[in-house]
Amino acid sequence: MHNGFAPHLRQRSKAEQAQNFWGTTWRLLRYLKPWHWLLFLSIIFAIAAVIFSVSAPKILGQATTTIYAGVKRGRAMGASVSQWPIDFHKVGHYAVQVLILYGCSAIFSLLQQLLTTQLAQRVVYTLRRDLKRKMRRLPVSFYDTHDHGDIMSRMVNDMDNVAATLQQGLIQIVTSAFTFIGVLVLMLTISLRLTLVALITIPIGMVIVGVISPKAQRLFGKQQATLGTINNQVEETYTGQQVVKLFGDEKREQERFEKGNKQYFNAAWKAQFFSILVFPAMNFVRNLGFLMVAVVGSFLVAQGQLAIGAVQAILQYQEQFSRPITQLANLANVFQQTIASSERIFAILDEPEMKSDTVKKAQPAQTSGPVITFKDVKFSYRPDQPLIDHFNLDVAPRQTIAIVGPTGAGKSTLINLLERFYDVNAGKILLHGVNTQDMTRADLRRHFAIVPQETWLFHGTIMDNISFGHPGASAEDVYQAAGLARADHFIRTLPDGYQTVLGEGSTEISTGQQQLLTIARAFAANPEILILDEATSSVDTRTESLIQAAMDNLRANRTTFIVAHRLSTVQNADQIIVLNHGHIVETGNHESLLAKGGFYARLYNSQFRHALR
Amino acid sequence: MFKIIHRYMDFLPATMAVLFLFGQTVCDLYLPTITANLVNKGILQHDFPYIIAIGCRMLIVAGLGLIAATVNVFLASRQSMKIGAMLRSKLYSKVLNFAGQEMNHFGTSTLITRTTNDVVQVQTVMFQVLRQMLRSPMILVTACVLAYIKAPRLTVIYLITLPILTVLCLLVLHYATPLFHSIQGKTDHINQIFREGLTGVRVIRAFNHEDHEQERFDQVNRDYTQTGVKAYSLVACLFPAMTLVLSLTDVGIIMYGGHMIAFKTLNVGDLIAFITYTTQILTSFMRLSRMFVSLPRASASAKRINEVLETPHSVRYEPTTTDASQQTTSSNPETGQSSVPAIEFRHVSFRYPGAERLALDDVSFKVPRDSTIAVIGGTGAGKSTLIDLLAHLYEPASGQVLVQGRPVNSIPANQLHHYLTVAQQKTVLFSGTVRTNLLKANPHATTDEIWHALDIAQASDFVKNAGGLDAAVQQGGHNFSGGQRQRLAIARTLVANADIYVFDDTFSALDFQTDANLRMALATDPQMKGKVICIVAQRVATVLNADQIIVLDNGKLVGCGTHEELARTNQTYQQIMASQLKQGGGQHA
Repeated sequence: MHNGFAPHLRQRSKAEQAQNFWGTTWRLLRYLKPWHWLLFLSIIFAIAAVIFSVSAPKILGQATTTIYAGVKRGRAMGASVSQWPIDFHKVGHYAVQVLILYGCSAIFSLLQQLLTTQLAQRVVYTLRRDLKRKMRRLPVSFYDTHDHGDIMSRMVNDMDNVAATLQQGLIQIVTSAFTFIGVLVLMLTISLRLTLVALITIPIGMVIVGVISPKAQRLFGKQQATLGTINNQVEETYTGQQVVKLFGDEKREQERFEKGNKQYFNAAWKAQFFSILVFPAMNFVRNLGFLMVAVVGSFLVAQGQLAIGAVQAILQYQEQFSRPITQLANLANVFQQTIASSERIFAILDEPEMKSDTVKKAQPAQTSGPVITFKDVKFSYRPDQPLIDHFNLDVAPRQTIAIVGPTGAGKSTLINLLERFYDVNAGKILLHGVNTQDMTRADLRRHFAIVPQETWLFHGTIMDNISFGHPGASAEDVYQAAGLARADHFIRTLPDGYQTVLGEGSTEISTGQQQLLTIARAFAANPEILILDEATSSVDTRTESLIQAAMDNLRANRTTFIVAHRLSTVQNADQIIVLNHGHIVETGNHESLLAKGGFYARLYNSQFRHALR
Repeated sequence: MFKIIHRYMDFLPATMAVLFLFGQTVCDLYLPTITANLVNKGILQHDFPYIIAIGCRMLIVAGLGLIAATVNVFLASRQSMKIGAMLRSKLYSKVLNFAGQEMNHFGTSTLITRTTNDVVQVQTVMFQVLRQMLRSPMILVTACVLAYIKAPRLTVIYLITLPILTVLCLLVLHYATPLFHSIQGKTDHINQIFREGLTGVRVIRAFNHEDHEQERFDQVNRDYTQTGVKAYSLVACLFPAMTLVLSLTDVGIIMYGGHMIAFKTLNVGDLIAFITYTTQILTSFMRLSRMFVSLPRASASAKRINEVLETPHSVRYEPTTTDASQQTTSSNPETGQSSVPAIEFRHVSFRYPGAERLALDDVSFKVPRDSTIAVIGGTGAGKSTLIDLLAHLYEPASGQVLVQGRPVNSIPANQLHHYLTVAQQKTVLFSGTVRTNLLKANPHATTDEIWHALDIAQASDFVKNAGGLDAAVQQGGHNFSGGQRQRLAIARTLVANADIYVFDDTFSALDFQTDANLRMALATDPQMKGKVICIVAQRVATVLNADQIIVLDNGKLVGCGTHEELARTNQTYQQIMASQLKQGGGQHA
């Protein structure tokens, strides 16, 4: 809900690159701090799992060597033996060792994954909770000046990125790095020469990754940009779908869309192609290493310089060796995006908050004086555009104050100040003689109930929506409030009555009916002061006159502020505040303002000029 | 998911992609087989030239593998992105042609998500299917076949491993899929509550509901986290379990294979080949297990896309036989027979889906050419419904709506705007400039025509201040105030070249003075001569001068006539008048 007057600035940053990479990384890591022992343990377990799994092929190789030795010995003895003399005792021994190693590796890797899952889910839970808590401490001006779609995208997409990386990426770095080191060490213990042969593939692999990856990155950027364009078009034309239809503009919109869609397709498949091409290319490099190890190893074995099991082990290691390089290259990109996402989330967490009001304890007492006093109030949304200056007003109990003015005159501004959605720049607003700044916002707002300009109902039952104004209200209270708002009848005609669930995709009720529900909500709150922000503008006149009657009863004991469109409310008001271009141009009652012949008189008379023509 | 594959996958390139994937798999797995020969002949018999020859063969096989893989990636990326582009284009055109009923049924925001995020989800998984998902079973099967060729008896070990792995995968899939589906739903729920917090910040704060909101959010957040932990933990079990199964396979190969070697029924090289196969099977299954996470998400997306694509259009276009002859006459009132009414409703009834009550109940009226009509009535009286039916945004349940003598459902959707144009209650502006927005209604409008329309709409002053026709309009027109947006939308309607101009409660957001000026300019404009102006309003003052006023109450037409007639005879109209006269303080009495 933006009130049409507050400056609506769009602050969408499309940059995928993080501004402060290491700073943000450090900050994200600090989120892991409460569970540092979880992180520590999962890293230890990851390392343990790697060590165990990496050692296994070597032992397996020794088993093969033992078998091969038996065969060789048998050959030396001549072909006459019916059975090669293989030392099965030793082979069995190795087999048990391998089983134990793999078993340990499996257990540690399971533990690590379980811990990582806990860690990742808890961190994202905390981030999400913090973001929601932050939203609560941000001033209304933040909501008015930021694009909701942008904030939602941070909550949804960016949060998703962070979650995925924490779940899979973080530990993968550890695993990949340790696999690389572990494999290298073990290969070296087996055969220096064969390891060197295997290592030749690394520079080749790095060159391939170095050539393909940046190209893929560039194409990926282009893909995202074109996707952004078509997504924008979708958002816009879907929102204005009826307008497009009414003007017969479908064909041109479709053509425009096809163009964007085609551009996206061209960028997307290339980006996909090049980013995935790394894998078969690296696979080729691995195969290259495989065959070199096999050929060179064969020479060495044939010459008796190396055990056959060593070749087998190195062949197995070769498989595991190239994978971490590809993974790390891939992870680098993922991390870039994740840090950029975290930065966008942190940007909201860093927004300046409202002044805290926990220490304020002032409680207004019911006195005979004015309920509300504006004293030398000065306010503007932007420093360069002064709006309200030296505004004074006393509101006696049970008075009705009408705020009138042309569209866009800033009628909601006074409401914003009363409810302390915005704070005054100078001067003060007093409630029963107590400066509202000295009260907590919650204490202040308990004195008010508001019926906003745009209906806002949440996804829940009608019952819950009405009792929103008065937590703990009984069903009877709700029925009574709905009855007073003349909403009871239509609610009871709905199939589920008061248990009807409102919201997208569920039962639809008309705008007027929604309006009635927001009025019922205000009735349920039963406040001392009522604020109606153009509340009745979309309720039909007959219904409105019914509400008017109920409202008169309600107003008998209540101070009311009305942002008024209708002349009846204006005329019966005790005081009228006339606004134009955000400034208060006149105050007085209907008669005195008409007699004055100023802005209000012109505004008032214009309504019937044509009617009388 | 399968529906989408079935309908939108190009069979030939997809088959080619799979074939080349198979080629790559065979090449990858053939290498260990060659290695086995290397060991069996080269090493054991010290045949050095043979070793070199084998090396060359391996190089060729590896090269072929690379080529096959590249072709597969090429075909798979093009094919998956093409499916994405096609789905997007189909959805876009489907939604653009949706009637109000379908739009309401889905809601704009989910349609946007379905066209954007859901399609991306599907195309990503489509790629994975063409590249990754088929690879694991292929590797398994190929490894089994190659192993069988090498040593039929040793293959028994794979025959034990294979079902265990499959059962393992299926088990996890069985338990994890519902969890990931539920995660999807819970994500939506979290986002919904967060969005409500954004849109309802004033109400929430005014009613001191921040604590409750946070509690509501925390509850869903906790719920989501618990499900997330459960689902991911389940998947986490899969990987170690697979490792264990495959290490057992390795040990089995060594022990059983060792004995076979001892009895001379197996060569040492084959043993090494078998162990390499196992490693490759493990790697491929690990990749497969990662797909468990994305598959349920994509299938949920595919379902949501299909829902949209399979929605039947509630608005029908039925060309009549006299179509061609009428088309020439009807869009031009001068040449048409003047006796044919510009608008005619014949016993029209309409009911919103699921509603008990008819929104419009047997409404009949005629509007002659060159007249101003007004529709008045309270909220829920059926005013907007009437306009929506006139603009053929909905299909009536019974009865017929005619424009210039033609039933609206016989006019193609892209022709209707020649007959009538509507300024809607809810203003929508598009990002661009003032000019591009106004040209939407009529791409051929001249600059003079645009300024003229802005003049009538009382919008030229602020447009000039904003920098003229090329002043930027932000998305949703948020750099203009509500009243300014409304006037721009009215101007846009005036730019259109139609026979009937409808203003659906368009003047409500304007202040009294602007409203009056605008109506005056509209009534006196020479270009409006011969056109039908239809004004929907709630205020009597707005409709006073209409040639004909249609009074709606609870979906029924309860009165039709001039202000004087209705003021004398019509009870509902009198009631409306009375309620407003009381408000108006007897000013015009």
